[in-house]
Amino acid sequence: MSAVIEARGLSKRYGKRTAVDGIGFTIPAGRIVGLIGPNGSGKTTTLKAALGLIPFEGQLSVLGHDPRTERDALMQDVCFIADVAILPRWLRAGDAIDFVAGVHPRFNRDKAERYIAHTQLKPSMKVKEMSKGMIVQLHLALVMAIDAKLLVLDEPTLGLDIIYRKQFYQNLLEDYFDEHKTIVITTHQVEEVEHILTDLMFIRDGRIVLAASMEEIGERYVEVMVPQEKLSAANALQPIDRRTVFGKAVMLFDAGPGGASRQQLAALGETRNPSVADLFVATMKGTYA
Amino acid sequence: MISDKNANTMKWLLRREFWEHKGAMFWAPLIVGALLVVLMGCTVTYGIMAHGIPAHVTINGQELDHARLDAVLPAETKMVAANIATGMYLGASAPLFAILTGVVFFYCLGALYDERRDRSILFWKSLPVSDPMTVLSKAITAMVVAPAITIVLAVAASLVLLFIACAALSAQGLNLFSALLSSSDLYLAPLRLVALLPVYVVWAVPTVGWLLLVSSWAKSKPILWAVGVPVVALVAIKWINAALENFSGQTLLLAHYASDVVARILGGIVPGIWFTFPGVTAAIHLNGHGIDMSNVVPQSYMSLAGADAWIGVAMGAAMLYAAVRMRRWRDEG
Repeated sequence: MSAVIEARGLSKRYGKRTAVDGIGFTIPAGRIVGLIGPNGSGKTTTLKAALGLIPFEGQLSVLGHDPRTERDALMQDVCFIADVAILPRWLRAGDAIDFVAGVHPRFNRDKAERYIAHTQLKPSMKVKEMSKGMIVQLHLALVMAIDAKLLVLDEPTLGLDIIYRKQFYQNLLEDYFDEHKTIVITTHQVEEVEHILTDLMFIRDGRIVLAASMEEIGERYVEVMVPQEKLSAANALQPIDRRTVFGKAVMLFDAGPGGASRQQLAALGETRNPSVADLFVATMKGTYA
Repeated sequence: MISDKNANTMKWLLRREFWEHKGAMFWAPLIVGALLVVLMGCTVTYGIMAHGIPAHVTINGQELDHARLDAVLPAETKMVAANIATGMYLGASAPLFAILTGVVFFYCLGALYDERRDRSILFWKSLPVSDPMTVLSKAITAMVVAPAITIVLAVAASLVLLFIACAALSAQGLNLFSALLSSSDLYLAPLRLVALLPVYVVWAVPTVGWLLLVSSWAKSKPILWAVGVPVVALVAIKWINAALENFSGQTLLLAHYASDVVARILGGIVPGIWFTFPGVTAAIHLNGHGIDMSNVVPQSYMSLAGADAWIGVAMGAAMLYAAVRMRRWRDEG
């Protein structure tokens, strides 16, 4: 199967500021990709380019379409949640379902209604009468009932409380995702998504600094709890990050080609796979400085 | 197949617009229409009941008095009265058409602006609905749906008023019902109103195009841009023209057209505005104190014979196209 998204030399400038700086990446079908970076790193701009919402330079192909010229064809197979709480205030839940059912050939009405039935939403309710969590539930019910090949979620849980956030990702994984679908999620709350992702892309200052599958990351990065007496030996292996937990040094190593070997690291102390959040912090060091 | 799908999408888009603007497009004229019926109905009924049939009535320049009403052949008198009543009765609903102008104006200004302000454009754009379809649905809502709703409500309100008046008269012994029901004007007047809708669309296109363009372009305060730009441009042109005339004795050709262009850009959505535009051949024949309604339709269609109307349509279509392009590429942050 060909790539769902393929970018080559993708750039976007806003005046003098370069939001996305010549990035290239490939996202195959059947993946859940986390596009992760700090605020202002270019995540949203990249996705907007892929969704045909903004002009850009370079090459970008989404499901074989150029989002600049073939957006209408593209939107038959793509769905996105650009932000929470963008449903118009005057819209009734029932009308929203009717409308999407009316205009979207891939919308499954029963699925949306089944999903709504598990919430406190009523068809006569207007968006302005709903809590933020309920708006997300409605939006999610609409989007998850669409059998799209590509679903793009841009900060889908921003400003939501923890119960809705957990539920959101759980529903996404259990009810929606299958091997024919691809999901791209941007967030800066890494710890929420790490267990559902199959692939990671770290983006920083408009460039992709890391793109790998979760398996590759598990093989490549090692975190070691280094006891006091082995500190200098550990430092000699050039850890990419170090921090202290309960008086013990915790070091992050790149065990990929050219880095330290697993045997060397195991000799230093207890090893484990780092969390994506720790990897993120290590990779993004200096971004906020 | 594709046109079927487009027709279906358009149906839902029009419904969507109606859901959003039900208050302004349906409830407001309905309530005003109901108030008209109640207030004017009460006034007429009270007038007839309290004072009996007026001793002197002047309708359309014909003076009828009580004595003559009895003296003349009753049927003939009734026919005259009925003809006048049925020809003019839609005039009672004029306030609804004034409201329509305001509703269409503010609807167009908000149509492509509000969705950007509340960012719901990102939701609409996540569905397989193209920008041309969306903008077209808004133009159709402004030029056809809103006026059609007003026409229906206006006819209903006018008919109710007419029958209230007739009921009051018959209580006083003057029965106009049979004459009224046999008058062809009773049935033709609503049809004439509907027949005017295409003329309205033609003259409204430039204004709707301009307002939708501003609505899709303005970052804030679309009303200031929509009204300010044409008015400031007009004042500037007039001023330059006056200066030129003073110094060189020449005038700008542009200045001759400037006022008309501004009037058509801002006033095209006023029902009947076409009679005031220059280039529209003959004015309505005034018949006494009223308008000869049967003449309005042919006169209105004659206004479409000149090039002016169609130049406006072309400009309006160009502005609608610009609004589509604007919506396609507007970055909502």
